[in-house]
Amino acid sequence: MTFADAVSPAEAVAAAAHAGVPILAASALSVTLGGTSIIADIDLAIASGDRLALVGPNGAGKSTLLRALTGMVAPSSGTVTLCGSPLSAIDRRTVARTLAVVPELQELPFGMPVTDVVALGRLPFEPPLTGLRGTDRAAVDDAIERVGISHLRDRDVRVLSMGERQLVFIALALAQEAPILILDEPTVHLDIRHQVEIMRLLTELNERGTTVIAVLHDLAFAAHFFPRIAMIADGRLVADGPAQDTLDDDRIRSVFGVDPALVRLSASRA
Amino acid sequence: MSSRARRLPAVPTLLVILFAVLLAACSGSGTTSIPPDATGSTVPATTASPTPEATPEPTAAPAFPVSLTDDEGTVVEIATEPQRIVSLSPANTEILFALGAGGRVVATDNSSDFPAEAVDLPDVIAFEGFTVVVDVEQIVALEADLVVAAGLGFTPPDAVAQLRDLGIPVLVVYAPTVDAVYADIELIGAAVGAAETALTLTDAMRTEIDAINAAVVAAGIPPRVFYEIGYDGTTGAIYAPADASFVAEMVTLAGGEAITTGDPNSYEIPLEILISADPEVILLGVNPFYMPTIEEVAARPGWAVMTAVAAGAIIPVEDVVITRPGPRLAQGLRNLAAGIWPDVTLPPAP
Amino acid sequence: MAARIRSRPLLVAVVAVVILMLTLLAGVGLGTVPISPAETIGVILHRTLGLDLGITWSPAVETIVWDLRVPRVLTSMVIGAGLAVAGVVFQGLLRNPLADPYVLGTASGAALGAAVAVVLPIQVAFLAFTLLHGFAFAGALFAAWLVFRLGGGGGPGGLTRLLLTGYAIASVLTAFLTLAMYVSGSELRQIFSFLLGGLAAASWSRLAFAGPLIIVTCLLVFRRARALDGMLLGDAAAHHLGIDVRRERRALLALGSMATAAGVAISGLIGFVGLVVPHVVRLIVGPRASLVVPISVLAGAWLLSAADLVARMLGDIPVGVVMALLGAPFFVILLGRSRVRYEL
Repeated sequence: MTFADAVSPAEAVAAAAHAGVPILAASALSVTLGGTSIIADIDLAIASGDRLALVGPNGAGKSTLLRALTGMVAPSSGTVTLCGSPLSAIDRRTVARTLAVVPELQELPFGMPVTDVVALGRLPFEPPLTGLRGTDRAAVDDAIERVGISHLRDRDVRVLSMGERQLVFIALALAQEAPILILDEPTVHLDIRHQVEIMRLLTELNERGTTVIAVLHDLAFAAHFFPRIAMIADGRLVADGPAQDTLDDDRIRSVFGVDPALVRLSASRA
Repeated sequence: MSSRARRLPAVPTLLVILFAVLLAACSGSGTTSIPPDATGSTVPATTASPTPEATPEPTAAPAFPVSLTDDEGTVVEIATEPQRIVSLSPANTEILFALGAGGRVVATDNSSDFPAEAVDLPDVIAFEGFTVVVDVEQIVALEADLVVAAGLGFTPPDAVAQLRDLGIPVLVVYAPTVDAVYADIELIGAAVGAAETALTLTDAMRTEIDAINAAVVAAGIPPRVFYEIGYDGTTGAIYAPADASFVAEMVTLAGGEAITTGDPNSYEIPLEILISADPEVILLGVNPFYMPTIEEVAARPGWAVMTAVAAGAIIPVEDVVITRPGPRLAQGLRNLAAGIWPDVTLPPAP
Repeated sequence: MAARIRSRPLLVAVVAVVILMLTLLAGVGLGTVPISPAETIGVILHRTLGLDLGITWSPAVETIVWDLRVPRVLTSMVIGAGLAVAGVVFQGLLRNPLADPYVLGTASGAALGAAVAVVLPIQVAFLAFTLLHGFAFAGALFAAWLVFRLGGGGGPGGLTRLLLTGYAIASVLTAFLTLAMYVSGSELRQIFSFLLGGLAAASWSRLAFAGPLIIVTCLLVFRRARALDGMLLGDAAAHHLGIDVRRERRALLALGSMATAAGVAISGLIGFVGLVVPHVVRLIVGPRASLVVPISVLAGAWLLSAADLVARMLGDIPVGVVMALLGAPFFVILLGRSRVRYEL
């Protein structure tokens, strides 16, 4: 079933899952910018219900891969498909209802209460002139509840702490009610309590049915919270599988150049 | 499919709407015009001739309605003899009064200072340094049926256009030369139904000016004359007549060799150029905005070397009558000539 | 209290409309020539609805009210609305609270166009628009286009480049403007009057041009208000929310420049409205563009017409002076009392 036939993204995703088609896939994906190859020949297939961490050293190409997967950058060769259809052929709003992305923390130029920021997640649904409807408000409230920031509803986003702000943007993505949630380094700048909180939230969301893909810099968290880890190094996919396979000592040493013992902070899954 | 197909492209839509609006505006403007006889009574076309007599007068041709071309080349239609005239420059005010139409002037500008009756008339245009403010509402409220405006942007073109849109005839008048002054006096004379008076006036002016000119030309070689229009003590800027300007012409007519700025668009002369031009006579154009003293001028740094300063030939003259392109021009020329040729007996004033 | 007002944008809108209507009446009823309210209302009703209330007035009064004051007040409202909306657009697009309608060179372009028109020895009039208005309009649009093209065409992440290009182009155009002013001689006065900005040139025919243009522009901006909201979060987030950033940015820039150019062509450079009105409106109803745009239309219309009324009563001093003198202290007070802190 293509997107044109599906009534909602959730339906398209369910149909793809049923048919065994990956809901988001890159095949032979390469991106070259300004003459330099950033990522080359990447094959990555994500099934409905996956919880995937994307790891790799700085400059490996993780962000570019993410941008290609979400349509911000066009592939130089290879394809990206969403529920089996090429991403470039699907209109933006449908993509926005299927893929919700939490980018790195942004500064707002004007003060805005948390509720209004989260409400921006309904933009792919809102009719142009009338604004938020009942269903939209319900989705916003639900998102705020699930993320646990109800006590911050009317506060100006800019006066919140970084951890709280990150939660707000996750709520924004949740308000999009998209079956796939993609996060780019959601735990940067956060203290450990908030980092754990977000990891737990993502696990919970995934257990309830959302497919989660997160770019992470912290290998220990990736190992502990994500059953599947894909590692990118020098623009190539060098490993893709469960933590104990992907994060073996040799690989950590060769890709990251550090003592693997430093990674094993918490009770590992090895 | 993309949502592009559902939306109207903004820019072409705007252009189409704009075009439609322009077409609509073409077909009829929203303004109304007030016919000049706004008081509602029907005023029959008056003639310039005196009361009808049995024998036809040579000047029996009616003076109104009249179609005149003003100094900007605009054709202005005046249907009946104007009874409520507005003057927007001091020169025009003087001309109107000299033509005997002073009683029909209802408003002037804030620098009209002659004759004395003009000072008390309400001001509808104010010259405040760089900005000019025209009170169009007041002009309309006074039910003006003729406006005599100043050219060269002294009366803002927007205001002129606005008044014309409202049906009020506006004559734009400016005189860059002495001959143009005569033409303007005759133009305004035709506009107010005083064409004969205008001719008499200009004839008298021409005669007097020609006589003064003849006297000074016969007196000898024209000395080098510097007419100082203004001086800025802070910046040291010296304001002098531009090339081929009105003041330069007046100085020449008065028997002097005018020192000018060298540029028809500039009224500023560098001190070095002035010194090398070495005036033999310095005339100070005195008016309410500029009143230097002879001692001040002589004491300016670097000026002592000039012949005029050494010889003590620094003479204040009343600037207004010299530079205002109006009916007192002959008097202005007389002042100039007296300053340049103090020992020459000028023909007596009529 | 701020929160309560924010939750009732409709109330704010109604109050704004009422204030606007009152200002319209005051603007038409007051001026240098005293006209009684009865005559004013009589003329308006007669010319709009053909009603005859038995009041009489002289043709001069009718001209003053209908041909001079009404178009002037309406023009000031339209231009005020256009400038305020342009301010909303540029502040949102550039994600910069200090942006105003002239930030991309439109002011310098318009001024240069006007100066060139004044200096050229050609007298042309087309449908009540002199060369000066036409060139000012064209100059403003040309400058905006130039800045857009040289500034990266609104590509992703190019906001700083756009802003800096705007500054650079404005400097170049101002240099040419100064040159033109130097060469102009006696026309300097006209250029200067234009730069100071004012509504004396308002008329029905000019309103017929600028009015629909600005109104349509405001409507089109309102339709795109969602895009402005999305872009608050940055290009990437806007993209992920389904917004075609490149296209929206181009369209919004064109609309903002158009509204600014139309205003500048008629009234010269009027500042303050475009910068301050969006902020005041945001402080009252919050930053969502779908609210800020329509309320800014009302607020901008009110501010400029009220300032013009005061300027007229004080002997036609430049309207920008009045706005700054009255508006700036009010703005500062409002900033101090709001709970939203402006950290830049």
